[in-house]
Amino acid sequence: MLKYIVKRLISLIPVIIIVSIMLFALTKAMPGDPARHMLNPGLKAEQFEAAYNAMRKKLGLDQSYPVQYFKWVGNTLQGEFGWSSLYNRPVKTAVAEPMKNSIILNIFVILLDLAITIPVGIHCAVKRGSLFDSFWQVFSLATYSMPSFFVALTLIFIIAINLNWLPAGGMPIAAYGKDFAYYLSWLKYMILPVITLTIIGLAGTIRYVRNAMLDALNEDYIRTARSKGLSEKVVIYSHAFRNALIPISTIFIWTIFSLFSGSPITETIFAWNGIGHVLVKAVSNRDYMLVCTMNLFFSMLSITANLVADLTYGFIDPRIKLE
Amino acid sequence: MENRPVQENTTRTESDLKKTGKSFFSMLKRLFVREENHLSVLEEEALQTPGMTILKNFFRHRLGIIGLVGFILVLCFSFVGSRLKPINLSYVETALRNIRPSYNYLNFPAELAKEGVKQISSGVSFSIGLSEKGKVYVWGTEPSYIMENYSTPILKIPQEVQDNEIVRVVAGDRFALALDAQGRLYGWGVNNFKQAETTEVLRMRLAKKKVADILGGEAYAAILFEDGELYAWGCTMPNRLDKSVPEEIQGRIKKAVASPMNIIMLLDDGTVATIGIPSNAIAQIPEYLQDGSVKIVDITASYRAVLALDDQGNLHNWGDVIHGILDIPEFDGKVVAMDAGKNNMTLLLDNGEVVYWGADHFGQLKMPANMQGKKIVKIFSDMFQNYAIAEDGSIFAWGNKGFLFGTDEQGRDLFTRIIHGGRISLTVGAISVVISVILALIVGMTSGFFGGWVDNALMRVTDVFMSIPFMPIAITLSSVVVGKVSEMYRIYLIMVILGILGWPGLARLVRAQILVEREKDFVLAAKALGVKQRNIIVRHILPNVFNLVIVNITLGYASSLLSEAGLSFLGFGVAPPTPSWGNMLTGAQSSSVIEYYWWRWLIPGLFVFFAALSINLVGDALREAMDPKANEK
Repeated sequence: MLKYIVKRLISLIPVIIIVSIMLFALTKAMPGDPARHMLNPGLKAEQFEAAYNAMRKKLGLDQSYPVQYFKWVGNTLQGEFGWSSLYNRPVKTAVAEPMKNSIILNIFVILLDLAITIPVGIHCAVKRGSLFDSFWQVFSLATYSMPSFFVALTLIFIIAINLNWLPAGGMPIAAYGKDFAYYLSWLKYMILPVITLTIIGLAGTIRYVRNAMLDALNEDYIRTARSKGLSEKVVIYSHAFRNALIPISTIFIWTIFSLFSGSPITETIFAWNGIGHVLVKAVSNRDYMLVCTMNLFFSMLSITANLVADLTYGFIDPRIKLE
Repeated sequence: MENRPVQENTTRTESDLKKTGKSFFSMLKRLFVREENHLSVLEEEALQTPGMTILKNFFRHRLGIIGLVGFILVLCFSFVGSRLKPINLSYVETALRNIRPSYNYLNFPAELAKEGVKQISSGVSFSIGLSEKGKVYVWGTEPSYIMENYSTPILKIPQEVQDNEIVRVVAGDRFALALDAQGRLYGWGVNNFKQAETTEVLRMRLAKKKVADILGGEAYAAILFEDGELYAWGCTMPNRLDKSVPEEIQGRIKKAVASPMNIIMLLDDGTVATIGIPSNAIAQIPEYLQDGSVKIVDITASYRAVLALDDQGNLHNWGDVIHGILDIPEFDGKVVAMDAGKNNMTLLLDNGEVVYWGADHFGQLKMPANMQGKKIVKIFSDMFQNYAIAEDGSIFAWGNKGFLFGTDEQGRDLFTRIIHGGRISLTVGAISVVISVILALIVGMTSGFFGGWVDNALMRVTDVFMSIPFMPIAITLSSVVVGKVSEMYRIYLIMVILGILGWPGLARLVRAQILVEREKDFVLAAKALGVKQRNIIVRHILPNVFNLVIVNITLGYASSLLSEAGLSFLGFGVAPPTPSWGNMLTGAQSSSVIEYYWWRWLIPGLFVFFAALSINLVGDALREAMDPKANEK
């Protein structure tokens, strides 16, 4: 087991290096000049020239690309992510607030998602071919085919505009300090984006849970359990579900890591100041450092999630030998 | 050959394999086409090719067929439709902005024809008619408006107008005016500049003087009294119509016609004058029409050109050279009446024939066939609608019938844009899937067959692409190519971006499937029979991998369609004015658009949904058809 972990970690090193080089190259390829971007355009020609060169030196842009790359890697490893030109403060502090907002949103999405998908998926598998199962099959296929902006716009049109129950978008404001009403207003602003993201995410998870449960139900030990004369309830919940939990655990790990990821489209439509929305704004405004840092962060997140999911899999399921 | 035993077919010899197993195509052929056609029923049952089995299973799947039909419909709609309905990407018509879906602009009421037409005038999406009995009719579609407080529905004729005998009506772009026999003026429709309202000044004049004509402009109205005085109100500041008519002209006006920025006037001595923006081409009246050497008897004005008729029956025109509006066609006969739409001109000759020219964006030049040979006595052209009244009182209408899917903020027809947007979106999705499948096959197959360090290296590359987040990287990549390349190249690059980001999942699947199939008993059996390595790969392993690939192509197509739509929606995909289903929604992010102009986001959204759903249905049915075990699930 330990040997496997070490082997996996070693094999990750080239992956991380390639990812970082690719992201660095991508950032360098973005149009525009960051030094020019950060200068006051009202300067006179000679002043501008001097200030421009000074700024290039300050940002390290006067050095060759390999030197810049290694400097960037060094800084990143030390937790220095550079300066966000869009928010005019360090990237670290600029993304803290949006990250928090995205996480809050995602917590609700994940809870809702798991609360719906696991019971529904199990029930679909147990009652395979029933009306209930067909309904959810069609439903998941339909939501799987829906563009997220379409779901979001439809919800805004019906619930926010025509019924006027909830705000169409935006963030809660602490007008009278952080009292109870303020925290309640969070809920008000969050309901529509949470529903949108849940609907979009639901489809895949339901199918996954259903298939995991079906696989478990087709195993020999289920037949054995039934032939022993156990009640159907015991067979399903004690034998099948416990085994179906093994593949479901992968999903669970992925969702925990997806807490940190933003959703560019949904957050943009609902004007939710989350990390996805900030990323869209940063790309539009040529905020190189923020874009680069966030892309690197998301990549590292998914590499870690992958690793953890694999390891847990081997941990939970004794039949799997990790080599 | 007739009675060939079944066994010989099922257990093939190496020489048999050599005959057919040479190329990739023969593999495909074996997958989908049965090779022998001369088997008895029993033999055929025993010998169904995998392709046939899949097809049979597929067509047993009801949802799959629905999906297939739906997808074919979408394909035909986009690809055949774009041939039938070409698009002019640079054409915009802001007057027609944000009009809801309808197709009834020319559906005039039958009562109007029965009572006899006195006058018809048209706005952007509606027409107002006055019968000989003095009754007013309005038909067409409500032009949409956001400022509800400032407008009344145009299709709801005010009670006073219905009660009184009306002598004259006129339609502005989005409002209408009616004058009754007692000299009272009524207005309704969009009133954001008080153009559909009677001011106190106007009311006093109306009480004293008789009205010769009413003019309806873009957002202003004007009235011409019989004593030759002109008075304009409404949105008159930007076009400088608020300045009073010059002293030397006021009181001498015989006829006036409205264009958005100018009013062209015919004076009592047969000369032409104008007020409004003096720099417009329409205001550059030829010298000889101003000094009295030619005596003009009638004038009419389109959006950017004027047509004048002199007492000798000759036509004079000036204005912007656009849409061929200045190219008067040859005709025989004397002109008895003339009228102009926004971009087209219509003439009525003394022999009852109608002559027309100008722009044909909405069929303004497509006269109804049954009008041929009828003697026309009246013509009315306004905006994009044209009406002709025959001697027997029948009405003929041609021009803009309406917009099936409404219009966007620039007045572009959404129906055409959906068709062409579909062509772009479906193509981008398809090509990006092809790119990703080719990459996935190359990487997956190389990895699966070679193993060792090649496999290791390729899998690390796959890990790299697996780990980069799709949407953020797609946005970043797309922003890198912005501005550096032309619009068309940008579409190609979007295909490449989606393709490059989409392959790792399938590559892993292909590799895993090859590893699984390699260990199966039938491969061992083939090896034991002495089948060559290459034939084992091509004939025994690849067909089983291909099933997987085909299912993944369909499901991947749906998801890349959605990705393209999402990217374009955020403004990082296909760039306008080239339409795609995603970028048609870009403008639909403000709540006023979501609320009032629902067709602008609902219709493209529904199309993306419908296309993706039908593809997913097909993919799902294919998966079940290919995997015999799936039926047990």
